[in-house]
Amino acid sequence: MPGSVTFCELPSLVEFVGVTRSYGSRVAVEDIHLGLDPGELVFLVGPSGAGKTTLLKLINREIRPTCGEVWVDGLPAHQLSASKVADLRRRVGVVFQDYKLLPRLTALENVAFALQVTDLRISDEEARDRGLDALDAVGLGDRADAFPHQLSGGQQQRVAVARAVVSQPPLLIADEPTGNLDVETAWQITDLLEDIANFGTTVLVATHNVEIVKRMQRRVLTLVDGRLVRDQPAGRVGRLAWAAWS
Amino acid sequence: MGGVVVKGRFPGRRRLRNLAGTAPALGSMTLLLLLSGLVGLSGFAMRNLAITEAHDASLLHVYLRDDATDDQVAALRARIEADHRVAGVGYTTKAQALARAQRRPGLPELVDATDSNPFPASLDVQVKQVSDVGAIDALVHDDAAVDPGYPTSYDQGAYQRIQQVMLGAAIAGAAFLLLLGFVALTVTANSIRSAIHARRDEVTIMQLVGAPRWMVRGPFVIEGALTGGFAGLAAGIVTLLISLALISAGSSSFAQVAPGVTVEVAIVAALLVFVVGIALGSGSSLFSLRKHLES
Repeated sequence: MPGSVTFCELPSLVEFVGVTRSYGSRVAVEDIHLGLDPGELVFLVGPSGAGKTTLLKLINREIRPTCGEVWVDGLPAHQLSASKVADLRRRVGVVFQDYKLLPRLTALENVAFALQVTDLRISDEEARDRGLDALDAVGLGDRADAFPHQLSGGQQQRVAVARAVVSQPPLLIADEPTGNLDVETAWQITDLLEDIANFGTTVLVATHNVEIVKRMQRRVLTLVDGRLVRDQPAGRVGRLAWAAWS
Repeated sequence: MGGVVVKGRFPGRRRLRNLAGTAPALGSMTLLLLLSGLVGLSGFAMRNLAITEAHDASLLHVYLRDDATDDQVAALRARIEADHRVAGVGYTTKAQALARAQRRPGLPELVDATDSNPFPASLDVQVKQVSDVGAIDALVHDDAAVDPGYPTSYDQGAYQRIQQVMLGAAIAGAAFLLLLGFVALTVTANSIRSAIHARRDEVTIMQLVGAPRWMVRGPFVIEGALTGGFAGLAAGIVTLLISLALISAGSSSFAQVAPGVTVEVAIVAALLVFVVGIALGSGSSLFSLRKHLES
């Protein structure tokens, strides 16, 4: 039915069913089947150009699959009309390598901005309180009034994480969240993402950081040339052959 | 959007930056809307002129012989009035014709040059349809009461020529207005595209955090509407001022050249220009958003 959204009760929070995405003649991801469960922390690894970002964009409906189905929290991302995309994105928090904070807004305003644009019923006071809570949770309660340029890279990434989780989405996707950070700060951000997962949010992290992936011993999805070549369960230390190519 | 953000970091400086970005569109739209307003008023005047001409062209003067008897004139009048294509018949005496001629530019000198009255009496026939004037002319042409040298005022093809000129002017005016509309649409759409480009980070973030489409697009539509509104207001005021200046300076001659263009009409035209400006600004914004703003 045009304009309506079909909800589907699926066991997984995110479900890819035979998903292929092509850009012209180039295939970015091919025949992907996977499911992400609630509260999972999952790493998505692979060499550059393997299709990690494409997979994240498919979840957030920045792009549509060429064929196959993408279900996110019961919503069919593969067939959502443009007017319904916002419904899906309210269920997905996003963290980027380059933070993507609005430079004219303070840390608190950046966080409150995400909250208020998604729900007009939220009062200024509530937005401020919840924004401060989120900043407290990432350890930046005392820097609420700082502008992005007054914060370090790690602090900016924390603000970005706070913005992503302030509306308590069931899913958080992070595209190379530690890519611009030093080792120590990268670990702090990773710990933060782990805490978020422990509170029941599914967290999918695309990363190149082999050390983090090895030490965390969480589920690891390996993409190579657009194909999901390995789905390693949590608690196992596997070979990260892709690292040799990246 | 709630106050935490709105009251936060969107100072006047940013609005000034936006204004600077839309200034070219504002100027172009003002000029184009002003031209549209003046072309529209001219079109309105030409339409009125066409109506007046059509009315005049359907009034046929049947000139009577000076020696025609009253019975001959009465018989002719009865014959004309009996025709279903005729709306009414009036009678103008030689003295009335002379008095009318003396009011026309250039004719008083001619009248003074002769001792006699050269203007004939006439039956003034108001024909219902301008297309039937020729048939009525043929009906009376050979009547004994009618002047055989200059029987009627009928000028075959005169009205058709006027109509052709009016039609040509209407087509040219409409084409000109369409061209102006297209240019205004393009200029404003480009301005909005620039605004989208300048705020792409903000727009991207709003989209990624799940802001509804209207919230992402709304500011741009409002910006387009404001640009169009300001341009329409300025163009409307100038249109009104030009019209008022022409009306007061030209007085009676202006009424002949541009019949029907009164102060009230000029005000309505100015309001229309304002409304069209808002519609054009909003419409071109939506057009640009559909084209350049991905969801």
